[in-house]
Amino acid sequence: MVIGKSAQRINSVVAYTVLVGFTIFCLFPFVWMLDTALKPLHEVQSLHPSLLILRPTLDNFRRVLFETSFPIYFRNSLIVAGSATILTLMIAVFCGYVLSRWPHTGIARTVGSALLLSQMIPGVLLLVPLYMLMRQFGLLSSYTGLIIVYCTFTVPLCVFMLKSFFDAVPGEIEQAAEMDGCSRTGFIYRILLPLSAPGILAAGAFAFINAWNEFMFGYVFINDDAHRTLTPGIMMFKSAHVTDWGGLMAASVLTVVPVAACFLYLQRFLIEGLASGAVKG
Amino acid sequence: MKQSRAYPGTCADKGTRAKVRTPPRQLTRAAQTRRTALWFVLPAVLFFLLLSAYPLLRVLWQSVRYANLVNPSISGFAGLDNFRTVLDDDDFLPALGNTALWTALSVTGEYALGLISALALNANVRGRAFFRAAIIVPWVIPIVVAGLTWTWMLTPEYGVLNLWLVQAGLIHAPIAWLGQTGTALLAVTLVNIWRSFPFYTISLLAALQAIPADLHEAAVIDGAGSWMRFRVITLPHLRVVSMTLIVIHIVWTAVNFDFIWVMTQGGPLNSSETLPIMIYRYALQNFDVGAGCALATMMMGFMASVFFMQYYGMRRIASSQAGTA
Repeated sequence: MVIGKSAQRINSVVAYTVLVGFTIFCLFPFVWMLDTALKPLHEVQSLHPSLLILRPTLDNFRRVLFETSFPIYFRNSLIVAGSATILTLMIAVFCGYVLSRWPHTGIARTVGSALLLSQMIPGVLLLVPLYMLMRQFGLLSSYTGLIIVYCTFTVPLCVFMLKSFFDAVPGEIEQAAEMDGCSRTGFIYRILLPLSAPGILAAGAFAFINAWNEFMFGYVFINDDAHRTLTPGIMMFKSAHVTDWGGLMAASVLTVVPVAACFLYLQRFLIEGLASGAVKG
Repeated sequence: MKQSRAYPGTCADKGTRAKVRTPPRQLTRAAQTRRTALWFVLPAVLFFLLLSAYPLLRVLWQSVRYANLVNPSISGFAGLDNFRTVLDDDDFLPALGNTALWTALSVTGEYALGLISALALNANVRGRAFFRAAIIVPWVIPIVVAGLTWTWMLTPEYGVLNLWLVQAGLIHAPIAWLGQTGTALLAVTLVNIWRSFPFYTISLLAALQAIPADLHEAAVIDGAGSWMRFRVITLPHLRVVSMTLIVIHIVWTAVNFDFIWVMTQGGPLNSSETLPIMIYRYALQNFDVGAGCALATMMMGFMASVFFMQYYGMRRIASSQAGTA
């Protein structure tokens, strides 16, 4: 760079200051969440809350795990988000393959723009008709209903992510496989899937995060405790009069753990994938 | 394909499939491809039709019909009655105003924070990967967790933010930010900005990194200061991404249900009620599906016009860029 040394130093000082500020802004609520979760009751209810914990305790976690419905909600969320992710991948692999291999055919274009459009349709507008649809089929308060509905946002997401991963697999490999007598489906199973395994894992993790985080459909479609997922479930912890904030924050920490794990894995893909897929200039 | 035509001999050795390659069958092959493609996209298309297209049409259809979730005897053609119900509702105009305020403040705040953080991340500093990860984190966690954690930090009695504000001398006594009509919507907006701006950061950062470095170097040689370079080089390069981001987020924010429901449920006294909350209330609390769908239809119209404006805006940017180039 041709920029002078002193100017460069000022620039990096400014950049550091800004970045540290943003980091504190972004991470502090998590720190506070963890901090509260580890505090005993009388410290949670202190009029002078501080980061310092005088008597750290796992009591909040114990209470959440053994005395509430939290484990049930957690299991339900695992079932629903996991199944939705698998179903989505099964659908999206083939659709993404078509969009990647024959991008200029009428089929690919129509399906591509329909999926793009469906990504833009907000859930709240579909809430009422989907609720009635689920009621009609008797799928309210069932896993199946939620799993199917979650596909409205996970399928388009995964199709476009997978398309860009498939684009990276050179066409020559497919031609070679074809000449060796490999059918199209055989190619997908035996060659394309193993080759783009990281991409499929990334798309799956992204779909899982989105399904795990979803709140509205879970809140509206599920009315019994046995099937309630985590995000609406965690809101039940907050009652109108007394809220057990220590327990609630412990539950929040546990809810974030699977997401954080996926995110750590996703990180390197997320930046490129989002930048190229979501906001194509 | 090319290879197989160039060396037909090698292909023939491979057995049965090579026979398909003879010229008269070329058409069949194209047709075959199309059939495979159709089978492959079929599940995705079925899901789209059942879960997006059909519900959307149903919203339009229900908006002109009387429909009640608990009383099936209420039915029949309603004309514009449902729309009248919504427009005559005393809560409609305040909710519309709240939606506009919530959307405008959120998107402005998100864009400002996203741009500043992206510029800082684009600077040549150590530990960029760490900072980037830290800044993205809020965007990945469930809205419920974000909302409840902030609710906890904002509680009047035990909230850490209130304590700090009192200690800093900015307020005299703790304020119930979410419990007062004047501050509830603003507090939720702040939390929404906190969670949503990282998306702008990532997108803007990607655009910043695509700007060729020699543009800046050339400008420095020509004696341009950093503000000048920002205005003349950086901003124009961010125009298309910014526009897309803003349009998408106007729509996403205007229709967001989760944040407000988790933090205030539209209260106190409807002071933070937006249109999505109203849709929920109409359909699932008052069981008036027709009114809910009428409101949803109006919101769809609004979104369609936002996208329409964006489409034309983009075309104008594209043509003006083509003109200057």
